[in-house]
Amino acid sequence: MQLPVSRRVFSHLLIAIAWVVSINAAPVAAMQKVIIFHAGSLTVPLARIEKDFEAANPGIDILREAGGSTKMARMISELGKPADIMASADYKVIDKTLIPAHADWNIRFATNQLVLCYTDNSRHADQVNADNWYDILQKKEVVWGHSDPNLDPCGYRSLMVLQLAEKFYNQPGLYDRLVANRPEKNVRPKSVELVSLLKTGNMDYAWEYLSVAVQHELKFVKLDDHINLGNYKFDDFYKQAQVKVTGKKPGTWMTRTGKSCTYGITIVKDAPNAAGATRFLEYLLAADGGLKVLKDMGQPPFVPCRVVSQGVKDALPGTLPALVEVRE
Amino acid sequence: MQPGRDPLVWLAVASSTVIVAFILVPLVEMMTQPTMASLKETLMDRDVIRSIRLSMVTSGAAALIALVFGTPLAYLLARHRFPGKKILESIIDLPIMIPHPVVGIALLSIAGRNHPLGRLMQALGLEIMGTVTGLIAVLTFVGLPFYINTAKAGFEEIPPRLEHVSRSLGASAGGTFFRVTLPLAWRHMVVGGIMCMARAVSEFGAVIIVAYHPMVAPVMIYERFTAYGLKYSQPVAVWLILVCLVLFLLMRMISLDRKATA
Repeated sequence: MQLPVSRRVFSHLLIAIAWVVSINAAPVAAMQKVIIFHAGSLTVPLARIEKDFEAANPGIDILREAGGSTKMARMISELGKPADIMASADYKVIDKTLIPAHADWNIRFATNQLVLCYTDNSRHADQVNADNWYDILQKKEVVWGHSDPNLDPCGYRSLMVLQLAEKFYNQPGLYDRLVANRPEKNVRPKSVELVSLLKTGNMDYAWEYLSVAVQHELKFVKLDDHINLGNYKFDDFYKQAQVKVTGKKPGTWMTRTGKSCTYGITIVKDAPNAAGATRFLEYLLAADGGLKVLKDMGQPPFVPCRVVSQGVKDALPGTLPALVEVRE
Repeated sequence: MQPGRDPLVWLAVASSTVIVAFILVPLVEMMTQPTMASLKETLMDRDVIRSIRLSMVTSGAAALIALVFGTPLAYLLARHRFPGKKILESIIDLPIMIPHPVVGIALLSIAGRNHPLGRLMQALGLEIMGTVTGLIAVLTFVGLPFYINTAKAGFEEIPPRLEHVSRSLGASAGGTFFRVTLPLAWRHMVVGGIMCMARAVSEFGAVIIVAYHPMVAPVMIYERFTAYGLKYSQPVAVWLILVCLVLFLLMRMISLDRKATA
């Protein structure tokens, strides 16, 4: 049989490889690397923080890998993929998946909230607001979606918003009616993927974090604090939302309970470059450093950042203890 | 050539061993990881069966579409010279080079309401996002070059003389193709179909952008990995590999058997 991949392809590939190698090989070799696994919703601010940090620390190259927080944590705990830092959109993921085997502590550093995103071309874009969004999402012709609650915290949080809306607006059955108008195909692994569906007109409305909406310049409906999962003062109200997600093996389930969106970050035990990782965190968690960028990009930070106990605070490396406070 | 004398032979043997081991060791490791119990449990899982079946059906459909629409093109490329032929060949090879997610994004961007083609498709009731139609469209896109290039090589092997004789004896162009060319080239076409389908079965990057649900097997393997971890994604992978292996071996045997007896 003849090779289907023709010579042309081969030569193109060679050129491409040569090009890639030539631009990358030289500078990387001499630098130390810091590998960060992080939630997809942190991509834009971290890209900016990375740039600023690398400009100030020319010897360190930050390598980032984004994905669903649960998935990224599993890459560390199950595949043993080398990583220095893990930043999760749900700080509980670090507690649950990484501590104690793969991490010792967890710093809560920023918040977020859920908003309903749309574009000028979305159906009923000219009418939608904080009071009628749940009527519009029930219209047959409207295509809306959210990310997979089993893979992405944004997914189950989207469902929690719908449950809380049923309670807050006192509309019994609202949750079921809404979900009935959302076919399974509108559910995607990551919430950020929904942005391109919105922008190409394959979808009218999508549930996203405020940060994603700001960074991707989407239009969005900002919801009441009772239902947007953004204000920890309403944690008691959020608690009423309960979403079943898949458990440890197929066919088993566990329940997620509503609470405010809180980002967590840790340095992985056995990090290949713990010193570099500490340097980066010292920059990220400084009020005039990374936290300022987070604020500008729709992820209101905790200033200072928070840890659960004095013991945890004392165990932090470098100057990090000075950058956090103990707060439940 | 006598091994032992020519160092080149030993070099060839050594490098072949490395390559074969490189391919087989990780695969065998993965295939032997799951226990029989977990394999059986996975086979009882209706979602798994459904996803593997969907993978087979959509990839098969992609191969069939490639066969129907790609054969005339492959024949044209094998038999004729014309201006722009090189460009046309490069265009056909493009799907091999484009990063897979880009394929998905490209297809979705013409299928949305923000594109005139998308509005036309919606008017016709054609939906790409999250549908079997979309899956087949993506898989055909990535599989086409493999079919066309293999079929083209098959047509190139047949001496044009045979076709000229047929034509000079009064057969029509169509009659010549179906009664002279096709019987000589069909094995290449089958192999091309296998290549196309194999490529389609393995596609992930483009598929996950166009359709997460309904889930084809590679997407389910990914979903199982992210939701439950390695332990529950491996058995699905093993079953997919086994089903593909059996299917492709069968098709290979059909196309080779006749060759031996012909």
